[in-house]
Amino acid sequence: MTAATSPHGSAVHDVWRFRELWRSLVVRNLKVKYQRSLLGFVWTLLNPLLTVAVLVTIFTYVVRIPIPGYWAFVLSGYFVWSFVQQMLSTGTYVLAEHAPLRRSVAFPSEVLVLAAAASRLVEFAVELALALTALVLFLHGGVPASYALLPLLVGIQALLAVGLTMPLACLSVFYRDVQHALPVVLLVLFYACPVFYPASLVPEAARSVYLLNPIAALLTLYHTVLYEGRWPSAVLLGGTSAAAVGIAWLGYAVFNRYKRLFAEIV
Amino acid sequence: MKDSAAVLCRDVVKRFYHYEHRTTSLREFFIRSVLGRPIHVRRASFTLQDFELRVERGDAVALIGDNGSGKSTALRLIAGIYAPTAGVIETRGRLAAVIELGVGFNPELTGAENVALYAAVMGLTRREIAQRSPEIVAFADLGDFIHEPVKYYSSGMQARLAFSVALCVRPDVLLLDEVLAVGDQGFRARCVERLQDFRRGGGTLIVVSHDVDTVRQLCERAVWLDRGRVRLAGPLDAVAHAYAGTVGSTTA
Repeated sequence: MTAATSPHGSAVHDVWRFRELWRSLVVRNLKVKYQRSLLGFVWTLLNPLLTVAVLVTIFTYVVRIPIPGYWAFVLSGYFVWSFVQQMLSTGTYVLAEHAPLRRSVAFPSEVLVLAAAASRLVEFAVELALALTALVLFLHGGVPASYALLPLLVGIQALLAVGLTMPLACLSVFYRDVQHALPVVLLVLFYACPVFYPASLVPEAARSVYLLNPIAALLTLYHTVLYEGRWPSAVLLGGTSAAAVGIAWLGYAVFNRYKRLFAEIV
Repeated sequence: MKDSAAVLCRDVVKRFYHYEHRTTSLREFFIRSVLGRPIHVRRASFTLQDFELRVERGDAVALIGDNGSGKSTALRLIAGIYAPTAGVIETRGRLAAVIELGVGFNPELTGAENVALYAAVMGLTRREIAQRSPEIVAFADLGDFIHEPVKYYSSGMQARLAFSVALCVRPDVLLLDEVLAVGDQGFRARCVERLQDFRRGGGTLIVVSHDVDTVRQLCERAVWLDRGRVRLAGPLDAVAHAYAGTVGSTTA
């Protein structure tokens, strides 16, 4: 019953066909955000660095978290959390932001989410480079072998974030209060994930359940690889990778099912 | 698909609903679910019914009719922006649509940046965009405004830019919605000229308008839509004549 040819059908190759749109949306996102603001790229770093500074001060001098080099611990996970958090927030408005474009041209809406992810990844890369420099120079005094896993971790992170953002973006089209509900969820998630405390402080009995949260698992992987400079357990790495792939697949399936209705929702 | 038609619509139905109650928040969704109330209360308010259209490659067809007769809905369906409730829509080749003039532009970006974005949305590669940008900019003829953010443009200027992009992506099928209503006389004349060129080059054109005179310069055939149904289809003059006969008289 559905229509057959080019603007009407849609699949993964469609996303590839619109790669140029993807690329120019990324450039556009970054441009709109930074080009016309005075400090430019410095702004991306200021906010997360300030948060890191606050966390480090509080949990080193006030509430003492007993791990050596606490600053390095926070630095090795905070940007990952901030990436996930920003992706989810973006998901609640990205489709509404481009509503006029979606109503006047037919193109696969997932490109909008993917472009948002790609532009966030560019910002993340800058933050990560900074964190890596500090960790290598002041913590390890060299590059630990475990850092070879970084590309895999970033891959998991991207799949996970996109997989969670797609259904959220869908939901936001139909229900407008999603964007007001999300900060509450994020607040809970912030405490439910090892951002300012290590997963090792979670009681042994509860830890396996705790790590069922893929974001918590991802952060633990980052801590093991970047902060401890050790290889993570194969179970955790394999499990988290599988979860990321599964979530991305499921999220895309949900998005694909509902996206044909987007243009009609005003 | 053995059919050679550039655009083919068969038994297309598109239903829109009037919502007596529409749940737009999660909170309400939960409350209504708990209370066992319906999530949405709606009834069909407008239906494009049994829409049939066959446009051969190189042909030009006008969709005419009163406001709210379903012309723009039909165009959006062909463009793939709306999904049909039922029926089959097939198009061949690259398709460009100018619908809701200019509003697809990002107000913060300059005209030139929007051209690149718009051309990308239409599926052009980076090299093609770079090649055609000067042509697009020249045709829109906006002078130095091309480097100003689009938020400073008048609606006529936005229309010119949108039209230029749509033409310069060299589509096989071009869909225009009331495009020629905006823009000044000079630009309109140039548009008509370009559209005639486009057709000579084998381009297929579908135009939506309630101004029969503009359409006469471009199309030979017309489809008259009346409250969601095809009332008459055929040579433009015959259809336009029949349509003109009803304008002003109240149809109950």
